[in-house]
Amino acid sequence: MKNLLYKEFSLCMPLQVPLFLCFAFMIMIPSYPYLVAGFFICNAIFYSFMTAAMENDVTFSLLLPVSKAQIVRAKMLFVQIIQCVSLVLFSGVAVLNFFAHKNAGNNAGTTSSLTLIGAFLLLYCVFNLAFIPRYYKAPHKAGRIFLLSAVSVFVFIAIFEGFMIATEALHETVPFFAFIKTYIDTFPTTAAAWAYQGAFFAVCVLIYIAANEVCYKRAKAEFEMAEI
Amino acid sequence: MDLLEVKGLCKRYDGFLLDHVSFSLSPGYIMGFIGRNGAGKTTTIKSMLNLIKKDAGEVYINGLPFDANETECKLMTGFVTGAFDCYKKSTIKKLTAVTRRFYDSWDEEAYRGYLSRFLLDENKRISELSAGMRVKYALALALCHNAKLLILDEPTSGLDPVSRDDLLDIFRSVIADGEHSILFSTHIISDLEKCADYITYIKNGRLIGSSDVPSFCDGYRLVSGENEVLSEKLPHMIGYKSGAFGFTALIRSEDEKYFSDCRTAPADLESIMIYTEQEEK
Repeated sequence: MKNLLYKEFSLCMPLQVPLFLCFAFMIMIPSYPYLVAGFFICNAIFYSFMTAAMENDVTFSLLLPVSKAQIVRAKMLFVQIIQCVSLVLFSGVAVLNFFAHKNAGNNAGTTSSLTLIGAFLLLYCVFNLAFIPRYYKAPHKAGRIFLLSAVSVFVFIAIFEGFMIATEALHETVPFFAFIKTYIDTFPTTAAAWAYQGAFFAVCVLIYIAANEVCYKRAKAEFEMAEI
Repeated sequence: MDLLEVKGLCKRYDGFLLDHVSFSLSPGYIMGFIGRNGAGKTTTIKSMLNLIKKDAGEVYINGLPFDANETECKLMTGFVTGAFDCYKKSTIKKLTAVTRRFYDSWDEEAYRGYLSRFLLDENKRISELSAGMRVKYALALALCHNAKLLILDEPTSGLDPVSRDDLLDIFRSVIADGEHSILFSTHIISDLEKCADYITYIKNGRLIGSSDVPSFCDGYRLVSGENEVLSEKLPHMIGYKSGAFGFTALIRSEDEKYFSDCRTAPADLESIMIYTEQEEK
């Protein structure tokens, strides 16, 4: 597995991956739908798949002494590593945002918080499930598949950020949104906020793990049937 | 024990059926895998290596079932295609650095030797190599992890005659130790006449024959005669060509008795393929 991972990082990782990780700093922008930054990470991952498709990586990998299942597992691991690195960066920038903007909140969507980091995990689930199995069905159609996946990601962003905008607008009149505003959509400075957001983040982690396992199984099944 | 055994390989596409293809190859020999473009050679090879999902059949490498031992079988196998076009922007050095990690039996000294013999510059990108040099590089990779079985899919297509001859010499030297074997698909019959010990012939997805070259050729005869007798002998012919001075036809050796009034001659590989392919005409 480590050899396949070495191959992923040395042959399949284009310059766009480290470059697009810098979009984590979008979280410093005041009043911005921060989940959009997650789309750029998905975009970076797409570029790595696109590079692999253009360079006939699937054929190259299949000729190595590894199984199709191992090839898919290594690619998934590569994706997960990039996504985890992005989460670390997002977390760091979220803290910077808190100090730079003096906990001003976010009128345009989710406030930089642990909730936001959890939401990025959910966004990655949507992208991975929409993109990776379809890629292994037809690697040469990576561009078209990405367009469909991008639509799914933006629908998720619209729903999640829309909910947070509604929270911002209605928290003074609707008690439920007041709860969200006080404990979920805020930088956690109280024990209660940490607890609620920690629980939300833990659920997101579990969903991410489960979704990636489903994604791996679907991608593996597609790859087994693919005509290379 | 056979180094390669293919049993009842089937693959169906719309308008094409690879129909129960079976053959085997012992260590120390080169097998030519022949057939027209579209006959099913690449489909057979890809099915063997699990690059495409076969509908039925079994493949054994050195006695091991491929499906259940994919990694072990791939360690014993080197696949070289005439159109090696993976990671064209990468240098040979970078691609080799990745590849060698997968093989415990990687022989660096042999690799250096092949680079020198094939005049390959490690700092060149794959895209900068000619078709012949790409085949030689793929061959070097396969040979340096001590692959017992080399499967070559049209490696000489697109090569000039000198490069082709050079490559055929390399093939002979590879099998000289009696431990390695080569399955070599091509439609360039002259290459096989120079180096193949065995022939497997496939047509429209069906196996026409698989045996050593002399036995394979011995199964056929070329006959020639007057056009007047052509129609009565037609049912016993595999294929024929006729002109103002008479006809020439390919027949099975056992049908020679029907052509006692004609001239007969041994059939060569090229004639067998040419006349067999016009069977439907």
